[in-house]
Amino acid sequence: MVDQHKAPDGRWVELSVAVDSEAVEPVSELMSRHAYGQGVAVYEQYQQDPDGDNLAPDPTRPVTVVAYLPLNQETEQKVGRIEEGLWHLRYLGEIGELERAERPEEDWANAWKEHFQVLRIGERFVIRPTWREYEPVAGDLVIDLDPGMAFGTGHHPTTELCLRWMEEVPVAGKRVLDVGAGSGILSIAAILLDAQSVHAVEIDEVAARALRENLDMNRVGESVLVSVGDFSKTGTGGERYDLVIANIISSVLTRLATPICEAVDDRGQLLLSGVIEQHIDQVRATFTAEGMKVIEERQQGDWIAMLLERNA
Amino acid sequence: MAKKIRAYIKLQIPAGKATPAPPIGPALGQHGVAIMNFCKEYNERTADMAGQVVPVVITVFEDRSFTFITKTPPAAEMIRQAAGIDKGATNVKTETAGQVSRDQIREIAEAKMPDINAVDIEGAMLQIEGTARSMGVKIVD
Repeated sequence: MVDQHKAPDGRWVELSVAVDSEAVEPVSELMSRHAYGQGVAVYEQYQQDPDGDNLAPDPTRPVTVVAYLPLNQETEQKVGRIEEGLWHLRYLGEIGELERAERPEEDWANAWKEHFQVLRIGERFVIRPTWREYEPVAGDLVIDLDPGMAFGTGHHPTTELCLRWMEEVPVAGKRVLDVGAGSGILSIAAILLDAQSVHAVEIDEVAARALRENLDMNRVGESVLVSVGDFSKTGTGGERYDLVIANIISSVLTRLATPICEAVDDRGQLLLSGVIEQHIDQVRATFTAEGMKVIEERQQGDWIAMLLERNA
Repeated sequence: MAKKIRAYIKLQIPAGKATPAPPIGPALGQHGVAIMNFCKEYNERTADMAGQVVPVVITVFEDRSFTFITKTPPAAEMIRQAAGIDKGATNVKTETAGQVSRDQIREIAEAKMPDINAVDIEGAMLQIEGTARSMGVKIVD
């Protein structure tokens, strides 16, 4: 989730400093204390064979520590504190001057798109990035997608598990709830599978913007109700669904277990995804305690999705 | 055949709280990685370490797929725990945030040895001491 309030214009200051390997830890600590979200990136120099093999760190060359500050009224004060801190740390080893550059969000937000290709998933789904050409063949269900800064490109096993399963469970004519809709990929998939209606819930405003744009791009906006908010507080207001899908992460699924289960109709189904093997017992136990029973679990890599129904 | 590596990226970010904002967005975006896919993976895999900053080394392959491994917590995190404090001093010239013993410094240095560039334990201790001082944490014998 990009915090729009911290960098209102999407403008950031990138601060970088070249340091000896001995000074990496303390300099990282100093910069993370003032950086956005306490995050720092550490760039070591690498050496590589001419053919591109055997990439390995080169300990003889300096390491660059990078941190980011949103460009706002506090920026200069924080830069000053970092500069002062670096001055104190210079007895530890070679620490260069603090360099700064302004970086707009667009610099990185779109960079990965170049590598996002048309993707076929399951029997019928084709994910077409909006900037790629694709000529559909009979039976294709094409999802046009620009995920922006929302999750759901189709390239992640958790999404693939859901899409493949949606081809098998009854979706046509059903009322579907998509909790943590992200880019909207699963909501759109449900409509393409002839769901009667879809309710897409998303907590993050930035993701919700991408969600709405994708719904419109696929001309399914009228069949999908979008709610933006924390599902643990909003729930569905008593509304129940034939199929509830939640592809999030285990900690959030666990937190939302009660409202998610309340939203499943007596004869409905629940499709959960976004859980690694290590957390599956806990998620299974939480949803079982909410009166659900696991019908089947499927795994891709160490990611597990599960289909549940209400206990009779 | 092993996949060809495009880059290694080291980040220090709070467990379970990865977002596409900096430093993750710029670090991964420049190598063509789908940023949100990393965020989801990192948040799911570090959920049990909530409240800690967890260093992560991401290997990006030529096809823009990635894997990552998490490392030992930063020295600062361990120093804060050893000193029983929540944060370092705001102004290290005038404030002392807490204190740690030289034995505690050695313990931290031993734990950190696999992940820091030090030839011996004395070199590692020197780095840990430097981090402690930069946080306003006093070292006592």
